[in-house]
Amino acid sequence: MLIRRIKHGFWWTALAAALAVALSQAWLWAGIAGQNRLIGQLLAGRDVAVEDFANADPALRLARAVYLRKAGRYDDALATLNLLLQQAPPALRAQARYNLGNLYLTQAQEKLKAGGVDSATPLVGLAKQAYREALAADPGFWDAKYNLEVAMRLLPEMDRINSGNQEDDGSQKSELWTSLPGFPRGLP
Amino acid sequence: MKRRRYLVKVSRLAALASAATLAAACAGGPSRPVEAFNLETPRPFGYQIGDTVPMRILVQTRPGVQLQAASLPKPGPLNRWLNLRRIELVEAGADAYRIDLEYQVFYAPLEVKALTIPGFALRFSQYGQTVEESVPPWQFTLAPLRELIARQDVDGEYLRPDQPPALLSTAGVRTNLALALMAAAVLGLKLARQYGYLPWFARRSPFKTAEKRLRRLAPAELAAGLAALHSAFNATYGAPVFGHRLPDFLRAHPEFGQIQSELVWFFDYSNRFFFAVQPDLASADCERLQKLCGWCRAIERGSR
Repeated sequence: MLIRRIKHGFWWTALAAALAVALSQAWLWAGIAGQNRLIGQLLAGRDVAVEDFANADPALRLARAVYLRKAGRYDDALATLNLLLQQAPPALRAQARYNLGNLYLTQAQEKLKAGGVDSATPLVGLAKQAYREALAADPGFWDAKYNLEVAMRLLPEMDRINSGNQEDDGSQKSELWTSLPGFPRGLP
Repeated sequence: MKRRRYLVKVSRLAALASAATLAAACAGGPSRPVEAFNLETPRPFGYQIGDTVPMRILVQTRPGVQLQAASLPKPGPLNRWLNLRRIELVEAGADAYRIDLEYQVFYAPLEVKALTIPGFALRFSQYGQTVEESVPPWQFTLAPLRELIARQDVDGEYLRPDQPPALLSTAGVRTNLALALMAAAVLGLKLARQYGYLPWFARRSPFKTAEKRLRRLAPAELAAGLAALHSAFNATYGAPVFGHRLPDFLRAHPEFGQIQSELVWFFDYSNRFFFAVQPDLASADCERLQKLCGWCRAIERGSR
């Protein structure tokens, strides 16, 4: 009656396996729900403890960068976003680049308001670069299109281009670099 | 954004070229190496910053004419505002090529502005000679996204806000959890039924009843214990089982064959107990009966 015993044991094993899978999935669910709660907390404007970031999902880091920019902690936001750009899945990377562009552009606007045109110029350039990369990753990213246009109009002399006249390109490139006098020292 | 394709075909057929020009241009060749050349372009208006512009070139060459892949433009920035995102060369049949191009425009106009995607030259090689076929430049218009004097907010010009991440999806985990719980419930019910814990959905488990009866059996009540065990055999078989009909029972329930010697002893012992004049009782018999009943119970629920 070995077959019967094996069959009997099989049913018990299957039950144990099903329960183990259920337990592990419940554990995962609890983890995801916890991360979602933290994301909601960050977006509502309350910081979370650093130890929660030990093995945090990239989405949580992105939420923290949004929070940090809102709180005016630009350097921390920049560090978070730069780390995120190395780790994030492609879907989040476009968002991270766009938020990075917003970070640069906000700082540039603040510098412009304070009268520091020289230090604002490289920041606008960086913002443009970030928006372009976001759009290269996701051409249908409307917010990135809008803000790229804002950034491009902030430095209108850079956009003086004759539509695709190739013989102009060389001179335009030199104009681009002469219009960025503060580039080396303005980097954040 | 749904992009309707307006097809503008720039066709150059060899037949259209005049024979006189051909004779003057290439003295050796009987006709042009590129038989057909089509440039398919999308609508030439309604673009905005960051939009992509797809194009397709269809080329049909004469046999033996090869397109030089090196003459295709390389992906990357073509000028300050134009980026070639993707270029793909597909051989579509014999001596036919399809080139898919995707440009992306990064230009911020103040008003609707006409821009031109520059043309390039495709080179073909034919018996060591090189022939060029030019792809014409293509003009389209680009519109701004904002008004000329844009609205301001406290920090300066109005900006679109940061994008918050979407909440993580739990759908997959929840589906897995539900499936696992369902499987566990089904398996649990099956085992519970097999063990006889579902009296309303009972699998007949007469030995369970007998086992209960035997467990709290005083030595003096041996008769009742034997009767309980007998009735369990009868219920399992569906008819009274006697010692001499044991082979019939085992034929109907072969799983009990593994304890055949014990069963033989049981029926023999029962006969002697009920019908012998002087039954030889021993206290060990009670334990042996209980053990037998335990085996039967294990066989009944399938664990032995």
